[in-house]
Amino acid sequence: MNNKKHPNRTLLIFCAPALLVYFVFKLYPAISGIYYSLTDWNGINKTFQIVGLANFIEIFKDEYFWNSVAFTLKYVVVIVVLANVAALTLAVAIESLPKYKGLFRTIFYMPNMISMVIGGYMWMFIFTKVLYYMADNWNFKFLDKSWIGDPKYSFIAIIIVATWGAVGYLMIIYMAALQGVSTELKEAATLDGATTWQVFWKVTFPLIGHAVTICIFWALNSGFQVFDVIYALTGGGPGRATQSVAINIYEEAFKGNIRYGYATAKSTVLFLIVLVVTMLQLNITRRREEEL
Amino acid sequence: MSTKRRIIHTLVYIFLVVGALYTLFPLLMALMNSFKTNGELLTNVISLPSKFHFENYARTFEKMKYLHSLVNTVLLATISVSLMILFSALAGWKICRTKTRLSRVLFGLFVFSMLIPFSSIMIPLYKVTLALHMKDSIIGLSFVYAGLGVSMAIFLYHGFVKGIPIELEEAASIDGSSDMQTFFYIIMPLLKPITTTICITNVLWVWNDFLLPLIVLSNNKKYTLLLSTNTLFGQYSSDWTAILSALILAALPVIVFYALFQKQILKGIADGAVKG
Repeated sequence: MNNKKHPNRTLLIFCAPALLVYFVFKLYPAISGIYYSLTDWNGINKTFQIVGLANFIEIFKDEYFWNSVAFTLKYVVVIVVLANVAALTLAVAIESLPKYKGLFRTIFYMPNMISMVIGGYMWMFIFTKVLYYMADNWNFKFLDKSWIGDPKYSFIAIIIVATWGAVGYLMIIYMAALQGVSTELKEAATLDGATTWQVFWKVTFPLIGHAVTICIFWALNSGFQVFDVIYALTGGGPGRATQSVAINIYEEAFKGNIRYGYATAKSTVLFLIVLVVTMLQLNITRRREEEL
Repeated sequence: MSTKRRIIHTLVYIFLVVGALYTLFPLLMALMNSFKTNGELLTNVISLPSKFHFENYARTFEKMKYLHSLVNTVLLATISVSLMILFSALAGWKICRTKTRLSRVLFGLFVFSMLIPFSSIMIPLYKVTLALHMKDSIIGLSFVYAGLGVSMAIFLYHGFVKGIPIELEEAASIDGSSDMQTFFYIIMPLLKPITTTICITNVLWVWNDFLLPLIVLSNNKKYTLLLSTNTLFGQYSSDWTAILSALILAALPVIVFYALFQKQILKGIADGAVKG
């Protein structure tokens, strides 16, 4: 029984393939990223030097970067609230029905199957062709906006597309949670004279707290990294008006400047922001879940 | 009560039908207009095509090297997910069954890294792929996906193995089965439900991922469907019939996949999310 005598050796043999790819493609990049963020590495010079905290000092003064942080925060807040409210509403509506649950579930999940790049380009067609047509021919004057070209409206456009693409996924999670709430409990509350509204907020909602945590966590996490939708719709423009942090980092590294060291420093800042926000969120929701 | 309930149900149906139409609207508009000529598209965007111009599709099929990109994408998704499943099932099972400090450290290491956002590591990762001569390599990129995906998969396997009674493995071991034999003949079949979940969520992730291939693949012979669609979009910025037919072609494989396996997909998504 060789494996009983050396449990750690067997463990390492079984973990070796996973550890190898994990170290090379995730952990090493994460750790070396911290090192590169202290250098002036770029795509032009062969060698690079350690420049200490110079990149971080530059970030501190980088107006474009902080604009992209502000834009991302605004995006995250709106998407977390909007996508979750819409998804929960849909989930409750579908679950309340006696028939056609499966059909609606299938349709509402459909956008999640398609990449947001494809979805984004389809919506681009809606925003630049279809809405103008409606405005001209059906007299829907409120649609006659520069949806992609004007940053005021392109933010709305981005939110519309991102919500369209995220709602189905969250709805599936909420539906699974709602199915786990016992009907006896709800019936008992109704017999005690609670209204449907009260039953939902006092009985059902506390019982799906776990799903709420998951959904908010997912929306936060993917929101902070938003790239595809914006890339497809506005490319971060006009100018840099709709740049998210991920777009800003991508442009810094792979378009024009190729300043890898500086871009990596920005990535490190993004990681810290995400870490702090997710920790806060997990703490708050866990405490909330315990209270309920 | 019953009439009130019926009114509520009707209102809910109306609400959901409107929502469903809104959800399908971009897809339907893209589909309808992809068959028109550019002239008809401009004069009458909201109507069925007067004549179905399949030549739009013939043109983009050629232009985006459709079959080539499709094969690349299928290969990438298949290899990535196979590696991910094999590596993480081996690790997840052993980590769960070994009660040592090392196993706890390994588990913690894998789980912690789920918090690292992709955009934070993409530049050093790009450098790693260059150093390993993996630029423009579908197989190389598959290993990258395996590396990025194992944490979550190990977490799911670990949780699932906890629910499997250990007696089976002990009996096999007494009968002289080696660890590897036990893994392949006893454990893997038992893991099938969670393997399906992991397979579905990760195939969809790799299939629809854009940023990583955008960075790693620059040779258009190696392009995935998304990359060739993106390139075509850049080249034909005002030729909407070409773009829309390309978008439909790019979306088609996942829509077919969804139509065939929607029950498993929706269940897999829900399980993957809730357990994660």
